[in-house]
Amino acid sequence: MNGCEQYRDLYEAAALGALDPAERAAFDAHLATGCATCARAMEEARWLVTQLAYLAPDARPSPMLKARLVQTVRAEARLPARASTLFWMWAGVAALILLSLYSAWQVQRLRRDLADLQAQSTATGGQRARLERERADAQRTALILADPSSVQVAMPQTAQKDAPPMRAYWNTRLGIVVAGVRIPLPASQRTLELWLVPKAPDGKPVPAGYVRPQDDGTFVLLVANPAAPLAATKALAVTDEPEGGSSQPTTAPRWLGFLDLTRLGQLPQN
Amino acid sequence: MLWRAAAAVFLAVLATLREGGEPPDAALVARLATKDVRAFESIYDRHSRAIYSLVYRILQQAATAEEVVQDIFLQLWRNAASYEPSRGPFLPWLLTLARNRALDCLRLRSEQQRRREMQTELPETLPAVITAPDYEARLDEQQVAGRVRALMGALAPQQRRAIELAYFEEMSHSEIASALQEPLGTVKSWIRNGLLHLKEGLQATS
Repeated sequence: MNGCEQYRDLYEAAALGALDPAERAAFDAHLATGCATCARAMEEARWLVTQLAYLAPDARPSPMLKARLVQTVRAEARLPARASTLFWMWAGVAALILLSLYSAWQVQRLRRDLADLQAQSTATGGQRARLERERADAQRTALILADPSSVQVAMPQTAQKDAPPMRAYWNTRLGIVVAGVRIPLPASQRTLELWLVPKAPDGKPVPAGYVRPQDDGTFVLLVANPAAPLAATKALAVTDEPEGGSSQPTTAPRWLGFLDLTRLGQLPQN
Repeated sequence: MLWRAAAAVFLAVLATLREGGEPPDAALVARLATKDVRAFESIYDRHSRAIYSLVYRILQQAATAEEVVQDIFLQLWRNAASYEPSRGPFLPWLLTLARNRALDCLRLRSEQQRRREMQTELPETLPAVITAPDYEARLDEQQVAGRVRALMGALAPQQRRAIELAYFEEMSHSEIASALQEPLGTVKSWIRNGLLHLKEGLQATS
């Protein structure tokens, strides 16, 4: 016993709740020390105090109290069934959410497919336009070559007279075609540029386009809209220039062809 | 969770069969966990009278007493796990719970009257551990009730009044001494000796 003799007289009063605050505080502090003797005595005193409930005069609750209680507990006992309904309701909601998510994913996928198709269509359209341009250029080239009014210009190499020449056809309505076979390839990142050499003594060569022959040395260059008229042009020249061409020749002409002045008088002026 | 409830019900049924009579309180309370309405009705039929008598004695108003009793039984129904057999026999536990709730209600009412405004509910405290004496199992409830009344009726009226003021109105020693206009020491002796008299009398009854 942890000096608990002094509390022995308090057990019943403490169980009743009749101790005055100071006594109550002291006794609670003692119980808080873990005194097993007093704790056990308090448990028994509590039982004794509960017996005082029988001092209450006998009274009966109204039958309505039981009716209300039984009605309430029966309703609550059925709740599991309601809970089951709730479960299926929530399961339905979850299924709808999943379906919505799947549909949204499908829409996104279809949108991606549609975007891919549109991109393909655009690419196909671009390819078609390119092919159309190439076809138009080929047609224009053929017409220039076939038209008897086109001025033919032989363009031998300036350095080696027996080397493969170029040949040009200038049609005042359709443009210029320059072609070559077995033409030596320019160095890497270099190109061949066509110039219109003006008649005027102080005129500067006018750039008319550039081309890099294929590996077998063939090329066809179409100049649909020459920047200078035929009547004002003395010759056609081709120089070796950096890739992308130059605004003025940086090298000496490798191919040069003078226009046939005797025919110029018969041609329409452009 | 489910198997625990099933095991509790199985043990409860087993206890009933073993005793060959009405199921004990602990068995009925265990069945409440499975929302057994019949078990609830049995508990109500068995104890509502004692509980209502106690609550009505404290509150002195039938309508309020019924509300409190209804709350007590609904709490038991909704939270049967609040009673643990390890904390003592069921009926003393339920009587203690009922006394606490009724006294809380009384305090709340006084407070409302004093302040003339609504108060928040007082915090619920479950009864502390109760240990019944060995002879408790041999006592019949009606027999105990009659014996308690007889033993307390044998006390001097003032002594009995002191104990009733402490139990039903939760008065302290000092408050009782003031109410009865008796010395504090006398009141303390009355209460202690009266309860020891009750204890010895019940022990002798068994």
